[in-house]
Amino acid sequence: MANFWKLVQNENMKIYRRMRTWVMLGIVVLIPIVVTVAFLLLSDSKDANNWEMMQLETTILFSLITIFTVVVAADSVAGEFSTGTIKLLLIRPWSRSSILLSKFIALVLFSVLLSVVCFVLTWGVNTLVFGFSSDTSGLIPANSPLAGQSPWTYMGLDYLYEWIELIVIVAFAFMLSSAFRSSGLAIGLSIFLLFAGSMITGLLSVTNKPWVKYVLFSNLDLTAYLNGGNPVPNFKTTVGFSLSVLAVYFIVFNIVSWTIFRRRDVAA
Amino acid sequence: MSQVPVARLQDVTKRIGSRTIIDRVSLEIYPGEVFGFLGPNGSGKTTTIRMMVGLMAMTSGDISIGGHSVRTHYPQAAAQVGAIVENPEMYKYLTGYQNLLHYARMNASITRERIDEVVKLVGLSGRIHDKVKKYSLGMRQRLGVAQAVMHRPKLLILDEPTNGLDPAGIRELRDYLRQLAQEEGTAVFVSSHLLSEMELMCDRVAILQKGQIIDIRSIRGQAASAQQQAEEALFDVDRPEAALGVLQGQGGGRIVDGLLELTADRNEIAEVNRRLVEAGIRVYGIRTKTKSLEDQFLEVTGSETIG
Ligand SMILES: Nc1ncnc2c1ncn2[C@@H]1O[C@H](COP(=O)(O)OP(=O)(O)OP(=O)(O)O)[C@@H](O)[C@H]1O
Ligand SMILES: [Mg+2]
Repeated sequence: MANFWKLVQNENMKIYRRMRTWVMLGIVVLIPIVVTVAFLLLSDSKDANNWEMMQLETTILFSLITIFTVVVAADSVAGEFSTGTIKLLLIRPWSRSSILLSKFIALVLFSVLLSVVCFVLTWGVNTLVFGFSSDTSGLIPANSPLAGQSPWTYMGLDYLYEWIELIVIVAFAFMLSSAFRSSGLAIGLSIFLLFAGSMITGLLSVTNKPWVKYVLFSNLDLTAYLNGGNPVPNFKTTVGFSLSVLAVYFIVFNIVSWTIFRRRDVAA
Repeated sequence: MSQVPVARLQDVTKRIGSRTIIDRVSLEIYPGEVFGFLGPNGSGKTTTIRMMVGLMAMTSGDISIGGHSVRTHYPQAAAQVGAIVENPEMYKYLTGYQNLLHYARMNASITRERIDEVVKLVGLSGRIHDKVKKYSLGMRQRLGVAQAVMHRPKLLILDEPTNGLDPAGIRELRDYLRQLAQEEGTAVFVSSHLLSEMELMCDRVAILQKGQIIDIRSIRGQAASAQQQAEEALFDVDRPEAALGVLQGQGGGRIVDGLLELTADRNEIAEVNRRLVEAGIRVYGIRTKTKSLEDQFLEVTGSETIG
């Protein structure tokens, strides 16, 4: 049996040999440049704190990165079904679990790549334009648990939290992907549920029902903790609590994907 | 064939809902034989193949390939198999070569040289670096054959492989499959409803109808024995009535559409011809109405209705 890394290599090939992936990467590269240039053209001061600009652009970019990885994740399994390529993929000397795992690892690598590109670009562009600032008063609020820490620590944690949120959502899209035969449906439904879920949870959170704090969407916005707040203001949850809830969802999503994918009859 | 079978299907049954799609199918496929799997549309050929390659679970029964159960030791069983299931769908945004590379990475020991060799074999050398979305149906079928044979499987399973191939391509494939069976001892399992195709390339065929095997017969053996059998012979002669008189009712002679028809074996046909010629009757042609597999197939399956 060949080694497992080759399966991941295959999945990578299927991601990076597609035009859409390069369009996505292009957008991730362009946005920090466009936002910074727009700031220079439109603002009167022509000066800003490089860290604050970086954080602003990161917030914008991560919602895009989330959509991009959700598209790739939702297409990952369902796309093989809708094009029929799943047949020739599954008749190889590998268990279905290995094939599913290789797909998930490729998605994780893709999300890491986008995050790294985002970090490098948003830091690089803004530091180049506005210079390296050691003033973190605008970046880290006074009531943040990280007050007094370096901007690197703050931004590092910011990226880690954003990425954790992303990977839980990817696991969710991946679950829908292994449940549906049509990649269009899997992509559409993932994005729809993503938006609908956060809206509904936003409405629910005003009801003060105690179970609302266990809902996925009440815990996704981990970065709120960095600024001394909570994802849902009227529940005084802790980072540890939210991380545990997310871990449970992450595991459940993956168990469901795995169970469906292993059992499915391929009659495409 | 005293060897150990490469593949063994034992009472394989598939039910979807309350419908039994495959009903207690049992088969053995031996090394070096080309085995035809024949059946009308919807009889369950593709479903059986899907179960053999692990795409579908069986409801009951078992399939073993090279001694490994598809149910319990799938990777070991699959390592011996190369297959095309229905249309060979490939990644359209990749080139033919990248597609092959993709499948090659999933089997140990496929070298770049082997990929090149297979590409040449299926006649795609000139177009292998084109994106598959630019391929014609026949070219995709050839690429499908390439990915199926690349790792030299012990069992090659092809679901209607001639679909989309031109006559030259069909002939090449047929010769290649026979060669694989004879020279490399590969067991080839081909499904088709193109009966004449099967007749030309298979050693044995199983006939499937409504999910049940209704007959398994040896083709090569039959072709040989047919020479000894009496069959319908048609004589194209200048004076059929006179010819009938010469034969004095031998072989139940009769006139059909201006031709003299009678039942005779090979030696009798030669003898009849001699007597006609000696009686001064001009014989323009002799034809035997060999029952093709097609006739036999329709005879066995009853009709051409689907299901
Ligand atoms: N997923 C499914 N659900 C229910 N019935 C199915 C399913 N797939 C196939 N069938 C039924 O199983 C039977 C066998 O189908 P199968 O595709 O195996 O036939 P086939 O012999 O390959 O036909 P063809 O010559 O047309 O390719 C058909 O009656 C079909 O309707
Ligand atoms: Mg079929």
